[in-house]
Amino acid sequence: MNLIDNPIFLTQKRLTHRAGVLAAALIAGLIGLSLLSGLIAYLAAPRDFDFHSPQEAGKLFYGWIIAVEILVLVIGGFSKISRVLADDRKAGLWDSNRLTPLKPAEIVAGYWFGSALREFYMGAVLAGIGLVIVVLANLPVTLWLGTQALILGTTLFFGLLALLAGMVLQRPNSGILLLLPLFFLQMFSFDFPRFTIINFLLPIYGIANLFQGPTSSGNDYTFRTWHSWPEIFALPVPPIVLSLGLQFLVGIFFWRATVRRTANPFKPLLLRWEAIAIFALLVVVQQSLVWGIWQGRFGNPLAADSHSRDAYDYEPMLSIVQGGTILVGMLILALASPLPERVRVEALRSGLGNLRLVFSRSAAWLAVALSGIAAAASATQFIFSFKAHGTAWALAAGNLFLFFLMFSLLLEFCRLRFKRRALSFVVLWLFVLCILPFILAGVFSNAALAKLSFLAPGTIALAGSDSDDLKYLAACTLAQTGVVVLLFIAWQRQWKLLLAPTAPGPPGKQVQN
Amino acid sequence: MPNPMLSIEHLRVDFPGVVAVDDLSLTVEAGDVCGLIGPNGAGKTTTMRTVSGLQESTRGTVKVDGHELTSEPGELKRRLGFMPDFCPVYDQLTATEFLDHFARAYVVPDRAKRIAECLELTWLTEKRDALCEELSRGMKQRLVLAKTLLPDPQVLLLDEPASGLDPLGRIELRKLLLQLREVGKTVLISSHILTELSGFCNKAAIMERGRLVMSGTIAELGQAMTGRRMSVKWRDAGDRALQLLKAAGAKNLEAVAQGVTFEFGGDADALDGLLKTLVVEGVRVTEWRGSGDDLEQIFLQSGAKELM
Repeated sequence: MNLIDNPIFLTQKRLTHRAGVLAAALIAGLIGLSLLSGLIAYLAAPRDFDFHSPQEAGKLFYGWIIAVEILVLVIGGFSKISRVLADDRKAGLWDSNRLTPLKPAEIVAGYWFGSALREFYMGAVLAGIGLVIVVLANLPVTLWLGTQALILGTTLFFGLLALLAGMVLQRPNSGILLLLPLFFLQMFSFDFPRFTIINFLLPIYGIANLFQGPTSSGNDYTFRTWHSWPEIFALPVPPIVLSLGLQFLVGIFFWRATVRRTANPFKPLLLRWEAIAIFALLVVVQQSLVWGIWQGRFGNPLAADSHSRDAYDYEPMLSIVQGGTILVGMLILALASPLPERVRVEALRSGLGNLRLVFSRSAAWLAVALSGIAAAASATQFIFSFKAHGTAWALAAGNLFLFFLMFSLLLEFCRLRFKRRALSFVVLWLFVLCILPFILAGVFSNAALAKLSFLAPGTIALAGSDSDDLKYLAACTLAQTGVVVLLFIAWQRQWKLLLAPTAPGPPGKQVQN
Repeated sequence: MPNPMLSIEHLRVDFPGVVAVDDLSLTVEAGDVCGLIGPNGAGKTTTMRTVSGLQESTRGTVKVDGHELTSEPGELKRRLGFMPDFCPVYDQLTATEFLDHFARAYVVPDRAKRIAECLELTWLTEKRDALCEELSRGMKQRLVLAKTLLPDPQVLLLDEPASGLDPLGRIELRKLLLQLREVGKTVLISSHILTELSGFCNKAAIMERGRLVMSGTIAELGQAMTGRRMSVKWRDAGDRALQLLKAAGAKNLEAVAQGVTFEFGGDADALDGLLKTLVVEGVRVTEWRGSGDDLEQIFLQSGAKELM
């Protein structure tokens, strides 16, 4: 079934048109025409403006067009899609559609392309006016094509994320909150735009790079920061290709998750192999982006980089990557971690009420797999300096292993013990184990206390520590191992309590949609 | 042996901390109208949602016309129509547009004609161009029923179809369900209001706390009752009738106008014998009604009343 015959798409189109699209298109048109008139005014009387050339003026006005397009399509589209889906789910229409012979992929496609049509019309009007600005300002059409491709890719990518938000979240408007961590991370990556993956998942670097035309000054700081291509293991890659490629690959997993959840809402968002694949993709690309800084000689003085500021500015880069890896790993473990009730039901189905089933379903072994992947990826930074700096790598790898294991055990323990209040207790314990040591270190002016944090050993070891410091960090890691062992005992006890009443019965066929 | 149109075997559904449906087995033959009866929380809606494929089960099998839910969900979707206990409609679509949406989804041939038929069947033809949000609760219920009937499913699952309807709406719904029965649809209908189901169900299944307490045809269930309550009225010879009833073992006699109600422990043959005795002895019987074929009576004697 193609899109124009898709009943979900047609209904969403009908609903959008019924609510009115003309006013929205006119608003977009007025914004675009205002910017266009600014350019025309400059072209008519250049001396009245501070621009040095029509291209400079064109870039400014087209830049504003892009900003509004992103706001409308990415933010507005995300909000609309997640709201429509959550509302339909609440009203029972989602289930009604699922009961029809429509394929899950057709249902997903209908919502994906149909829910935010008003925003699409606004974006199309802005894109059209943007093209006129680009042509009038004598800018290369490739600027328009490249930026529009990046905006389209990002819109589709965030559209899939919005579908997932709408499927999972209870409150329609809370979907937009999912975007905040991404923009938060992006703000912190502005110092190293070429080396952080977030600038490519969001098309920031790609768009900024396209604006750095040959007329920019080679000595200009902004030009140097945003002009060069990112490198994957020292091989330059066009930023637009990297952005669209990353969005496409991650988007495949989002698409699979939305289709799977549509077919059966009781299935997990991420299958185990998908969790491993998506984590490996993100971590390997991130490590490959920074590989050019040390080129496998982490710990040795940095080679002068003609494109960069002083080399020492890049020293904390691997610590930042370690922090980002922990964040991404947490997110993936949280998505892949099974709900205790699901495991209990599986135990009932299989008649196996024992811990073997728990081990096979728990995110604990996934934590081991993720830390192994992250350790292998970060080892690429040490391949020529392992003898001298292998301890730092080992501490970082061990830290990732303990953190991921601690997080997965803690999450499952809290879900088992505190049920609906689990999230607050997870946050509480993460605060105690990760943040409180830093606060205590500040209060007592004792830096050693900060190193007790589960976040500390890896990030500090990768920031270039001396041997005494590394020994202390190793001791902290040992203490953290004790915490994880205690947590494991408590986790095991909770699972046994849950599965104890599970009387083994004859396995039967599972009924599902 | 009749072919079961709907077959549920050993169905179990678990929710956190509760077994919502426990080892439920039930068959409904083609053309049967089966009432799924039970107090609130008995597991009726969960059973309906599981049969339709919306709820995952812990174990058990569901078959519709021989097609199993697990292995042939597509076949099942074409053969089964589910009407939930609320009205999922697109408020900003007209009744016709709403039905058109689902007619396209079910790939119904000659959509316009079928939509008109379903609107007529549910007495909504006059409202075909009205927005769904303008319809009353009863009309929305009928519209959702029209949507359910669009692909002409063999089996209909109707979950509390009269909930929230005013008396007039209930009467209209009742007429509609009788029409469905007449056209030979297999219907599984749930309700906790027994008077809704009396009159057009030929089978009943009684649930309590997720378990099936009993099921069968209304007559079978009535016969299975011990101490069933009967009602008899006469024109004259009342004293003689009372003597005969007591002699036959009738208990708890309660006088009503021109007759009595009583409990009788015997089976259907004994009841027939008692009626024959009354007539032969000269009692002019004007009404002889076994309360055993009344759903309310069956339900009250099923042991499920504790939760009511």
